[in-house]
Amino acid sequence: MHFQKKRCIAMLLAGGQGSRLKVLTQNTAKPAVPFGGKYRIIDFPLSNCVNSGIDTVGILTQYQPLELNEYIGNGQPWGLNKSQSTAMVLPPYERHDKKSGWYKGTANAIYQNIAFIERYDPEYVVILSGDHIYKMDYADMVNYHERSGAACTIAVRDVPLEEASRFGILNTNPDGSIYEFEEKPKQPKSTNASMGIYVFNWKVLREFLIADEEDPQSANDFGKNIIPNLLAAGHKLMAYTFNGYWKDVGTIDSLWEANMELLGKEPEFDIRGDEKSRIYARNNALPSSYIDEGAVTVNCFIAEGSEVYGTVRHSIISTGCTVGEGALVEDSVVMPGCVIESGAIVGHAILGENSRICRGSVVGGAYGPKDKKKISVTAKDTVLEENTVLLPGEMK
Amino acid sequence: MNVTGIIFANDGNVSALTEKRTMASLPFGGRYRQVDFALSNLTCAGIHRVGIVTRHSYQSLMNHIGSGEEWGLEMEEGGLEYLTPYSSSQVSDYRGKLESLSSAMSFLEYGPEDELVVMIDSAILSNLDLTRVLESHVASGKDITVVTKSGVCNGFRQLDLAVKLDKKGEIADMVVDYAAHADYEASMDIFVLNKKWLIQQVKEHIAHNKYHMDRDLVLGLWQQKAATVNVYRFEGIAMFNESVEEYFKNSLSLVDKNIRQELFGGCHPVYTKVRDRVPTYYGEDCRIENCSVADGCMLGGAVRNSVLFRQVTVYPGAKVENCVIMNDTVIGENCELRYVILDKDVYVRPGAKLMGTPTNPMIVKRGEVV
Repeated sequence: MHFQKKRCIAMLLAGGQGSRLKVLTQNTAKPAVPFGGKYRIIDFPLSNCVNSGIDTVGILTQYQPLELNEYIGNGQPWGLNKSQSTAMVLPPYERHDKKSGWYKGTANAIYQNIAFIERYDPEYVVILSGDHIYKMDYADMVNYHERSGAACTIAVRDVPLEEASRFGILNTNPDGSIYEFEEKPKQPKSTNASMGIYVFNWKVLREFLIADEEDPQSANDFGKNIIPNLLAAGHKLMAYTFNGYWKDVGTIDSLWEANMELLGKEPEFDIRGDEKSRIYARNNALPSSYIDEGAVTVNCFIAEGSEVYGTVRHSIISTGCTVGEGALVEDSVVMPGCVIESGAIVGHAILGENSRICRGSVVGGAYGPKDKKKISVTAKDTVLEENTVLLPGEMK
Repeated sequence: MNVTGIIFANDGNVSALTEKRTMASLPFGGRYRQVDFALSNLTCAGIHRVGIVTRHSYQSLMNHIGSGEEWGLEMEEGGLEYLTPYSSSQVSDYRGKLESLSSAMSFLEYGPEDELVVMIDSAILSNLDLTRVLESHVASGKDITVVTKSGVCNGFRQLDLAVKLDKKGEIADMVVDYAAHADYEASMDIFVLNKKWLIQQVKEHIAHNKYHMDRDLVLGLWQQKAATVNVYRFEGIAMFNESVEEYFKNSLSLVDKNIRQELFGGCHPVYTKVRDRVPTYYGEDCRIENCSVADGCMLGGAVRNSVLFRQVTVYPGAKVENCVIMNDTVIGENCELRYVILDKDVYVRPGAKLMGTPTNPMIVKRGEVV
């Protein structure tokens, strides 16, 4: 089979469990977690690829891949099913020489798929992760990388000093070149946090992946091994500053916050945006939503196929949900297919897909604007029986 | 059983709304075009060879359906075919369905002779299990099956075709283009025929300058006892969108839960072209009551008893009641709209007042600024 040479392809790391999302990722890989009413987290990096002109994307899956595989399918919703475009799901596989099996780390996952990348003979490979919410033009970053002549370019953003020790921190020279990389430093020297988005010259990356695989001590991780090794070998690494909205939605709190940041007259993250940054998703055949005579819908997103009879304030109601008469949903993220029956109250909560909150039940609580909020969470397919209470911060 | 579907895209018109588009591509129900119902009825019954007969103004139709991938019709064998008029043909437009079938003869003749053909219109919407109609046709052993709906005829409403049944369910009387009495069943313009028989009839009729499907083929042959006709009575909801008044009334009826459930949640989903719009945003000051709302809207004002299509913007202070508001329209601050149909891309200037009546809604044409 003949494959067209590509200047640039993307590899999307979507194998993480996302254990800090607790019950939400019990049976779902983190990239498949619903977001923003009708999307899943992976729609953001995937749509960014398409909007940046990258038409070949390898998606590395490992943890609970079923739902994710089904969701990606042939890549049609993102226009990645054409003769010269691909969205290929790449699960771990067995090989004759035993250099295979489960992906040991982010770098090993790419190592095991060298053959996939080689088919396209690319100049550049973009490495992405499937757990961030943002809109970014990768083409701009690749062009910056090409102009600088670096072996690797890492996207960075300025983070508050007190949060810096949660990230990989890049210390740079005035020209933007990186002289030091520290993974989650206790005493950060700068606030340039790595966003986990890398552009590599494929020839260099290939060489380092093979060397890394030979090293039995290696954790086979980009941040811990590949990047420090490139620096140690004297390669030029550049930092590419990105100042747009970007959110790691790896925790319950940050997932809730990121959803809430879509709301308001001037939202922190404008999901609507312009045509060029549209986010694509796999759509189900659902009709319009219905808002009843007695419904109150204030400062909220309501996706298609939903029926609202009660009150919804400052919340995200995803596709195919029902909010019953007299029910109240406030400051909450309601994932697809949920039913909130009459008289139930949901506040500061994330309801997992297809949750059913029966009559008269109460989920979560209310807080003042400055209180530390505790988010209540239900797992996918949870049924909360009539007149029961799920306390603030509790999970079921 | 191999079945070919034929959809007629241009039959009927609803004044200004179909001035520049086919009946099939008329927007309906917030996210749909009328043809989505026919296409979903066919494909959900496993019919994956579909021809669409178009006569004119089919740009928006082709744009909407494309290769038919939303309905699973983008296939190498069978799939979708547009049966457009030949520009060299002596008549500039088809005079009737038989004439259009005659010029689509190569599509019709393709494949084995013992197939069935389903013919379906775009003006009458339903969520119907065609497999049962096909079974009824085969079981009846008759030449033609017509799908009908009771409760539509009322003595003053003119219908294309209507039948009166006797106690045994056999046809006692048949009328064409006639305001039939309430005890008649109205044709839903869905027919099942044996392919070989249909091809032969089309050729014979055209040779004798007969082109009208209902009058010449169905009524004519039935009267001459040259054809037997089976009636399949459809019990579900059928929306006859054959005039502006009906289109308007049927659109607004979607706020009724039972109607919604039957039309969209009936025996199969209704598929349409995906547009990837964001969910609808309900602003701080909006008051939305008894409305059907599609995705991608930004809502600020007060909207009651209305159908909002995709990407509609309603500014704060606007009051909208009993309206059908199509895609990408903008309703400015402090507007007042009652009984209005806004076609796509309309801009209503702040403070404008537009009033129609329930039987005569005001229509604002596509792209206008008022």
